[in-house]
Amino acid sequence: MAALKRARLLCLLISVACTGTESPSGKATGGTLVISTGGDPDILIPALLSSVQAGQITDLIYDRLAMIGDSLSIVNDAGFTPQLADRWTWGADSLSIAFHINPRAKWHDGKPVRSSDVRFTFQSTTDSTLGSGTRPLVTNIDSVTTPDSATAVFWFHARSPQQFYDATFQMPIMPEHVWRGIALSAWRGSEPAKHPIGSGQYRFVRWVPLAVVELAADTGNYRGSPKLSRVIWNIAPDFNAAITRFLAGETDFFEQLRPENVAEVAKHPELRTKQYRGLSYAFAQFNLRDPANVARPHPIFGNRELRRALTMATDRTTLVRSVYDSLALPALGPTVRAYPTTDPNLAQIPFDLPRARQILDSLGWRDANGDGIRERNGRPLQFSLAVTGTSRARVRLAVLLQEQLRQAGAKVDVEQLGFPVLIERLRKRAFDATIGQWNTQPSPGSVRGSWGTGGSRSTSGTNYGAYESPVFDANVDSALASFDQSARRAYFTKAYETIIQDAPAIWLAEILPTVGYHSRLQLAPLRSDAYWAHIADWWIPADKRIPRDNAPTATSVAPSESAGKKAP
Amino acid sequence: MIRYLGARLVQAAVIVAIVATISFALIHIAPGDPFSAVMDNPNVSERVRATLRAQYGLDRPLPEQFVRYVGQLARGDLGWSFSHDRPVSEVLATAVPNTLLLMVIALAGSFALGILIALIQVARRGSAVDHALSGISLFFYSMPDFWLGILALLTFTYWLPIFPVGGAVDPVMHEYMGLGGRIVDRLRHLALPALTLIVLASAGVARYQRAALLDVLPADYIRTARLKGLTEREILRRHALRNALLPIISLLGLSFPALLTGAFFIEKIFAWPGMGLAVVNAIGTRDYPLVVGGVIIGSIMVTLGSLLADLLYAWADPRLRAH
Amino acid sequence: MPGPTQDSAPINPPRPRETPLALGVRWLLRWRTSRAALVVLGIIVLTGLLAPLIAPYDPSAQPDIVAAKDLPPSLAHPFGTDPYSRDVLSRVIYGARLSLMIGVLATIVSLTLGVAYGSIAGYAGGVVDTIMMRVLDALLSIPRLLLLIGILVAWPRLSVGALVLFLGFTGWFGLSRIVRGQVLALKHAEFVTAARALGASRRRILLRHLLPNLVSPIVVAATLGIAHVIVLEAGLSYLGIGVPQPQASWGNIIQDGADQVATLWWMSLFPGLFMVLTVMTLNILGEALRDAYERRS
Repeated sequence: MAALKRARLLCLLISVACTGTESPSGKATGGTLVISTGGDPDILIPALLSSVQAGQITDLIYDRLAMIGDSLSIVNDAGFTPQLADRWTWGADSLSIAFHINPRAKWHDGKPVRSSDVRFTFQSTTDSTLGSGTRPLVTNIDSVTTPDSATAVFWFHARSPQQFYDATFQMPIMPEHVWRGIALSAWRGSEPAKHPIGSGQYRFVRWVPLAVVELAADTGNYRGSPKLSRVIWNIAPDFNAAITRFLAGETDFFEQLRPENVAEVAKHPELRTKQYRGLSYAFAQFNLRDPANVARPHPIFGNRELRRALTMATDRTTLVRSVYDSLALPALGPTVRAYPTTDPNLAQIPFDLPRARQILDSLGWRDANGDGIRERNGRPLQFSLAVTGTSRARVRLAVLLQEQLRQAGAKVDVEQLGFPVLIERLRKRAFDATIGQWNTQPSPGSVRGSWGTGGSRSTSGTNYGAYESPVFDANVDSALASFDQSARRAYFTKAYETIIQDAPAIWLAEILPTVGYHSRLQLAPLRSDAYWAHIADWWIPADKRIPRDNAPTATSVAPSESAGKKAP
Repeated sequence: MIRYLGARLVQAAVIVAIVATISFALIHIAPGDPFSAVMDNPNVSERVRATLRAQYGLDRPLPEQFVRYVGQLARGDLGWSFSHDRPVSEVLATAVPNTLLLMVIALAGSFALGILIALIQVARRGSAVDHALSGISLFFYSMPDFWLGILALLTFTYWLPIFPVGGAVDPVMHEYMGLGGRIVDRLRHLALPALTLIVLASAGVARYQRAALLDVLPADYIRTARLKGLTEREILRRHALRNALLPIISLLGLSFPALLTGAFFIEKIFAWPGMGLAVVNAIGTRDYPLVVGGVIIGSIMVTLGSLLADLLYAWADPRLRAH
Repeated sequence: MPGPTQDSAPINPPRPRETPLALGVRWLLRWRTSRAALVVLGIIVLTGLLAPLIAPYDPSAQPDIVAAKDLPPSLAHPFGTDPYSRDVLSRVIYGARLSLMIGVLATIVSLTLGVAYGSIAGYAGGVVDTIMMRVLDALLSIPRLLLLIGILVAWPRLSVGALVLFLGFTGWFGLSRIVRGQVLALKHAEFVTAARALGASRRRILLRHLLPNLVSPIVVAATLGIAHVIVLEAGLSYLGIGVPQPQASWGNIIQDGADQVATLWWMSLFPGLFMVLTVMTLNILGEALRDAYERRS
């Protein structure tokens, strides 16, 4: 009897040992992913971050209640998959949603995830003391209650198709027991901000500023162990250094290849590229208000016909081809083709230089003194075009646009500014025109903030050019209020057509993100808003591993230990 | 000697004080408030802004702000870096040792190489070798730092992949290597940036040293040595070099600003995590406290460097020592 | 370096009533290397002056931004084209014009400031002098590049004029020391006391004694200073805070091709070579002049 027990125990032990490195799906786990990135994360708190890197890292460390589907549908809960919440129930009047927390969900320090964590996250995010940029995005949520430790109920002010999206997408859940003791105003520099504890499939290991961020697989995670043991961000602000590292095999994944890099990568048989539909579009935005006095319209751009003329003078297709080659399409408007609500056949203002010149003549802008620049009432058709020096593509767009508009008789001064300086000028509306780019959210409703009247009037709005059109606003609102996908599309089409014809900006490029990766990596589908969304499913076959894949994995380093490790 | 040391220390302290004042002026004359990135951000609550204002005394009159600033500096508080979300002193504390490492190695290497080249040139002055080396050192002396850096990066990491591409250590493997492996890893990453800096700096040293040696050679005691029958090489070694040592030391002190500037570009190109890279990035993000902190630390480094050089000079020059 | 410092042969003593300028020119013409440097520099300066006549294309014209961009050197475009399909040779020629102009103007500003500051310090003496010198030491301890970046980044709309001014504002430190030295020496010179005793006005002393002694360090500082500014401007343009588009300066052209150095090598090579050549000739000339003046005294 004892021998049998012992034998059974032995079998159990052996089977456990054998399956120790096998993930639930059967593919062997292991391997290291090194991502080449251009900058440090700014802060590892979801509610406060603004850099892409910080978003990537926190998306792997923290979980949301549910994850958006790859199709980016945001109407009700279609397409969403469970994360922290394993199921949810709608209230009878649909003004509430009760989320049931997965009982196996645990924080990386071992403590269980409770509904109080959800309530705490909501309360902190919406507390004005924290100063979170997420706050204006979740105004429809009234409160979160916790009838028991496993249920969190979201209560909404009004019924809207985006209810579920608002509750789940905007707020990764944070551990109350870690953050409760710290005053909101002190979150920024606190210890937990430097060593985040989440419930996601990856744990934080270390962050060496300007060098490396490392995450390790949470093998005991409630959703299963991710297939890659480690994810490392290798930071190289200099593009040359970054791409050279990738081509030399020091990194495995390059986020944003430029046109000339694609040809380079093709020369390396062990590297591949992949392109996907993104959520970014670039444009040249006009300031419709006078920077000297925002109550008055801009002396040049206040006139709709002039803006249309400038758009007509721009050969957008050639411009985009020149800067991006095949890595971008001409933009349709303030939108991207990845949205299910965008009609790819939106009517555009055509490129017609002679017609543009005619219109400018008829508006009174003529070149009286033969210097090639038009004037009207003594004022030359001259303005500054502000662009951030950090984006090569945008600088190129600016210089090319400068020359194209010169052919139409306008003098453009390209001002290359540091990114924060540019943002400050935009906030203060102290600019004439600017080359901008929006990396939008999965919800097409984000266009309200950047082109709607609300975004123009409010100090935190991002409608820097002050375009205000009641027709546009009404159509966007109607679209967002519709539960029927085709109705939403129709309304958005009307809204986009309005803004295209009003020409508050020259719509330039819709970027097609192109990534480079090492062929041993098996990728999962790349979601348009976040290619890293399914990193937990990426894997490396055992026979293709290289030395750094097999390096021992560090467990999450406690703060006191890593303090010594900080100096490289 | 002690008196001299004391006088120089006081001088150095005064210089640092003036640099701090200039830095303070830099922060405040710039159009736009250095804290506006946080202060004007409407998402930041009033309570946070009030806290920052109180902490930095932003609502106080300028003279009081200055006193506060100086007091903070004296305590080693260089302010808060907005782009890194940690104290400036912490950011620099991790970065400065890397820059120092690079500079010290570049200094040693460039002086060794430069003096060697100068000696060769003087030993064979007038020959084709001398002309060729002069031309080469002039060429590298006239070259912009970043140009050579870019060319070096491309040539030796991409076209001929000998060295790793930037950084101080292998981002993935370094933690898991043995002690020997870690040292080799560090050396491999240090090699190219250091070599580039050495080439750039040694050109100047070689030219300077050659001129210094040639100045010394006609001297009386050298002529006596020649009459005594010593070979050229012995003369060079025993007399000329020792007396040309003094200019070497003064050149040492003068090299620091140029070396720091060179390191600045090299760090950017090779992604070497030193002070130069931190400041370049800080400028891009308009993180003025970090920029100014970098300027102050850089000036302190230069001042200390020239102080050390002056002390070395005083010790080496017997004429100065006996007073 | 070969030439003037090569040998210790006795030099011809300065001819009577020969101005320092004439002495310098005579010295330069005597040695082969400095003669060659003069010729090369002359060609470059001439290229810059005659740019509108020599350049084959308009340096800002973008004829075909899709098909004619990033072309390697060919007969039609000896230095290739840039990412905006602009002809690089024309841009390098105009770049000579702009880079040299910036160098000269900035150096003029530096010289003026340096002479003024040094003269005041030397003349005033005492506490004022000490304070001014300490401030100078402090300014010298801040690497010029860092100082420039700190200033330039705060000024968003950077015109070439502003760039020249700021470059000039940061380049006078070394010269002012030398000037101060000269003024101090003059103050205590016997003949000055004698001249004053004889009733000579200060202005006369200034004109007859100070200025001639200053010409030599100024000429040397100017030559070397221009070289320094050219390299500095290139560095600033490389960092993106130099000459604005669409104007061409050597540093600017390198920056346009900086992130594709491997594929657009002609954008780094040619402006870089021209820059190194110009700086080399200026260094040769400046140091030769310094030699000439040192030998004379």
